[in-house]
Amino acid sequence: MSALGIVGGVLQAALVVAGSPLLVGWMRQIRARLEGRVGAGVVQPWRDLRKLFRKEAIAPAGTSEVFRFTPLVLVGSTLVVAAAIPFVTDASALGPGADLFAVVALLAMGTATLALAGLDTGTAFGGMGASRATTIIALVEPSLLMAIFALSVPVGSTNLASIVHSALRNPAQVLSPASLLAAVALLMVTVAETGRLPVDNPSTHLELTMIHEAMVLEYSGPDLALVELSASMRLSVFLGLLASLFAPWGIATSLDPVPLGVGVVVFAAKVLVLGTAVAVGEVFVAKLRLFRVPELLAGSFLLGLLAVAASFFLSRQP
Amino acid sequence: MSEALYVQLLDLAGGALLLTAVVILWRRKLTAIVRVFAVQGFALSLLVAVLAAHENDPTLGGIAVGLLVLRAGVLPWLLRRALAAAGEEQHETRPLVNVAASLLAAAVLVLIAYAVSQPLVELFPSAASTAIPVGMAVVLIGFFALVTRRHALSQLVGFLLMDNGITAVGFLATTGVAFVVELGISLDVLMAVLVLYVLASRMREAFGTTDLDDLRELHD
Amino acid sequence: MNDVILLVPVLAPLAGAVVYVAFGWRPATSWAAAVSAALVLASGAVLAADVLQHGARTGLFGLVRVDALAAFMLVVVGAVALLAAGATPSWLRGEIAAGRAEPRTATRHSLLVQLFLAAMAWAVMAANVGMVWVSIEATTIVTAFLVGQRRSRAAVEAAWKYVVICSTGIAVALLGILLLDAAASHVPGHVGLDWVELVSAAPHLDPGVTRIAVALMVVGFGTKAGLAPLHSWLPDAHGQAPAPVSALMSGVLLAVAFSVVLRVKAISDAALGLGFARTLLVAIALATLAVSASLMIRQRDYKRMLAYSSMEHLGIIAFGAAAGGPLATAAVLLHVLGHGLVKGVLFLGAGQILHATGSSRIDAVRDLVGRVPVLAGCVGVGVLALIGFPPFSVFASELGIVRAGFGAGLGWATALALVLVLVIAAALVVHTSRMLFARPGAAAEPADEPSAASPTSPDSPGLPAAPDSPASPASPGLTTSPASPTAEPALPRRRAAMPLLLGLLACSALGVTAGPLAAVLDAAAQSLTGAP
Repeated sequence: MSALGIVGGVLQAALVVAGSPLLVGWMRQIRARLEGRVGAGVVQPWRDLRKLFRKEAIAPAGTSEVFRFTPLVLVGSTLVVAAAIPFVTDASALGPGADLFAVVALLAMGTATLALAGLDTGTAFGGMGASRATTIIALVEPSLLMAIFALSVPVGSTNLASIVHSALRNPAQVLSPASLLAAVALLMVTVAETGRLPVDNPSTHLELTMIHEAMVLEYSGPDLALVELSASMRLSVFLGLLASLFAPWGIATSLDPVPLGVGVVVFAAKVLVLGTAVAVGEVFVAKLRLFRVPELLAGSFLLGLLAVAASFFLSRQP
Repeated sequence: MSEALYVQLLDLAGGALLLTAVVILWRRKLTAIVRVFAVQGFALSLLVAVLAAHENDPTLGGIAVGLLVLRAGVLPWLLRRALAAAGEEQHETRPLVNVAASLLAAAVLVLIAYAVSQPLVELFPSAASTAIPVGMAVVLIGFFALVTRRHALSQLVGFLLMDNGITAVGFLATTGVAFVVELGISLDVLMAVLVLYVLASRMREAFGTTDLDDLRELHD
Repeated sequence: MNDVILLVPVLAPLAGAVVYVAFGWRPATSWAAAVSAALVLASGAVLAADVLQHGARTGLFGLVRVDALAAFMLVVVGAVALLAAGATPSWLRGEIAAGRAEPRTATRHSLLVQLFLAAMAWAVMAANVGMVWVSIEATTIVTAFLVGQRRSRAAVEAAWKYVVICSTGIAVALLGILLLDAAASHVPGHVGLDWVELVSAAPHLDPGVTRIAVALMVVGFGTKAGLAPLHSWLPDAHGQAPAPVSALMSGVLLAVAFSVVLRVKAISDAALGLGFARTLLVAIALATLAVSASLMIRQRDYKRMLAYSSMEHLGIIAFGAAAGGPLATAAVLLHVLGHGLVKGVLFLGAGQILHATGSSRIDAVRDLVGRVPVLAGCVGVGVLALIGFPPFSVFASELGIVRAGFGAGLGWATALALVLVLVIAAALVVHTSRMLFARPGAAAEPADEPSAASPTSPDSPGLPAAPDSPASPASPGLTTSPASPTAEPALPRRRAAMPLLLGLLACSALGVTAGPLAAVLDAAAQSLTGAP
């Protein structure tokens, strides 16, 4: 565990916590502008969080510890991931622990806990949302693993830092078909995992379609604030992961303040650009009917598999 | 052309071939399918052009231009015309295997293609021959589309997909078959498509639709 | 002798096509088809004699190579085409009379048939695998419109299936050819796609790639030959195509496609040993026989019944090819000719039955012996010949194939194939005897043996006065006026049965002695099996 890793980890965690609500606010603002609305402003999510934190915590009658601990687990696991992935610096706070599989497992754990909490409330919506979320995560995981596998084949390691290193050394690798296919697959996974259109609509409470919102329906006050915060953190973590894996340029490789500063700015810029792209994309797509979602995810799985296949078929320099 | 650039471009063309094949399997809207098919024709001719540039073979370059005209120009144009004539029904509504399952099947087919082409790759390891599995995969995906789709035009696209894959394998595996043979093959493909085009329009006259679901007259 | 003779088999049908384009179909041109078929037959015979004397001939800048197999296949093409051409004019007249066709359709039909013949002749003579592929695909394209000629729903459906499945099969074969080319390009010395070069280079081909290539080519060209697994176009296309076209497709097209498989097998044997192609072909043959047997039993349409019988015979032929060896290969080639003639006769007969009854359902045809004795006799004898009764040549060739099968150590497979063939034969006899003997409304009883053709009076009770024209002995067709333009089912004229009788006669003569053909068969078999 290097000093660079630790500094990076702390910086990243702080940056993700502080910046994620702003990212969500930015994306909402862009959608609002494109749809001809004024929008609530970039900092609106922070205002909402502040309001929620001031409220009293209420747990529905009959819920167990699962319901109460879920927000903490969510935020905690996402925070670990945010510290582990080499966003700002090319070394990870967890060192060899920053394995892609570990990161994916941590993120999946968050989703699984939330699904349990949804079931714990015993309400119809909670159960429905949990079942939908479980379906989607069951479909997402294989393609996520495939995409990761495809990225790790040329490097020979699933350690995130090694993959980022290798991409920095050999920029052509990023443009190989395997990498491009994996990028598309990962993007779809991101959309599905973070509950964006066309898989889930983050801005609706329509009972027929909602997934994430159905699970958190019973939360209120600080708990809800934590859940919302962790949701926005997951979004920025996924986008940051995409950015680090496929466009690792600008990452700090030494402890000097200048590269670190550059790293922070570049990371924020990359995530903002990706977020803008996702928000703009969302304006143009409609939500998929739920039973068409498996199709989308099967497609992303296929792309992941193609990426693996391509990393074997092609790019083998003679 | 430097070796690294050659490999990069070859890989890119190969990846595009595979990706377009998958997207064709994915989409339901026939107009979109035809558009993607045209992109694939372009990728195929790019592949051949890259090979031609690498081997400094003007004949191969000519073939690449011919392929571009035929596969990215004439054939998609014919398909589009057929679609326009078909009017309303432009969706592959109920394929025999639903889209999600057929995407997973395509994944299996890719693996099969990889396994099947191993002897070929081992026969003469080179940048071109490592891409042969891509061509094989396109052939298999095309065959799959052909047997599971019900709309006449998507069957036609499946057939053409197969043909694109075969052409790709041909150029990747050998330095190019004799020019006369290539000419004959292209002509035959064009003829076959024209024949199917005419038959599809006759089918529309007879059945009022090009959905092959209505082909239920002949059976045992 | 120069290269001109090599051009005749292709140029004669092309000239025929030109005639039809220029003059259309009319009584004066209706026999051009027969002339061109006769020319193909004659040139095949001349070439065969030449090949026997001087060995294989290469010509036309190396594009064409005629060996014993090619010459023999030309004879087959010419013979069956002559048979079909002999029956076409009266059939077309019948169609026009029944209002199912116009003179324009007849012109197009004749034109396409000529192109079809040219493509088949080119396919057997081409020296280059690629050119063979092109010409086989060309036969698909040309015959597509022949299959769909009637433009009914069923005909369009059959044509669509035909083109899609055959083109797919042929595309698979193309992939095989390309892989074979890839394997050949890594053999020292320049090896192209010429059959001869490939066979001579075969021992040096990479076995892994060649295995894939051979499997793809056998399956691909096997599609066009009506072999499993891509066989499903065959019953539809044969059932819907006009009778003379069915005769040609069933009698020759399948055989031409199979001759390509035979050549591929020669390469495979040299490159991979006997085992690979044998296993592949035995599996395909048994699957084909099984499919045909299972669908034959409850068949309701007699044209489809004949189509399944074609599949059966191609299965037998594939089985013989699997057995390998000069004896089996000679038997296979004899079977090709015998089956071509008999099946040609039967399809033409089926066309006449269709004209007489207006339906292709077995149920709709009753008491043919009473109504049209000559035709019924021809069909009955034809079916007997088909299931392998002596003295017809099918008997001799099936016997040879079975012996070779047991001799090659394929005992169980041969026994299984024999059982399937027996089932098919039984089904054929039952269905046919129903059509021939059953009184309308009476329950069908399995008859043991229909009597041979007896040219008794064609008067039949209970039917409208048939437009039976007076028998004019010489040059049938040229002098007759068009048949009565009624849409009623017309009884076929007696002399329309002439080609059928001639075909059966030829087949039985072939069964007694192969005559000069024996030497050609031997030469072809030896060149295919590599035996000295």
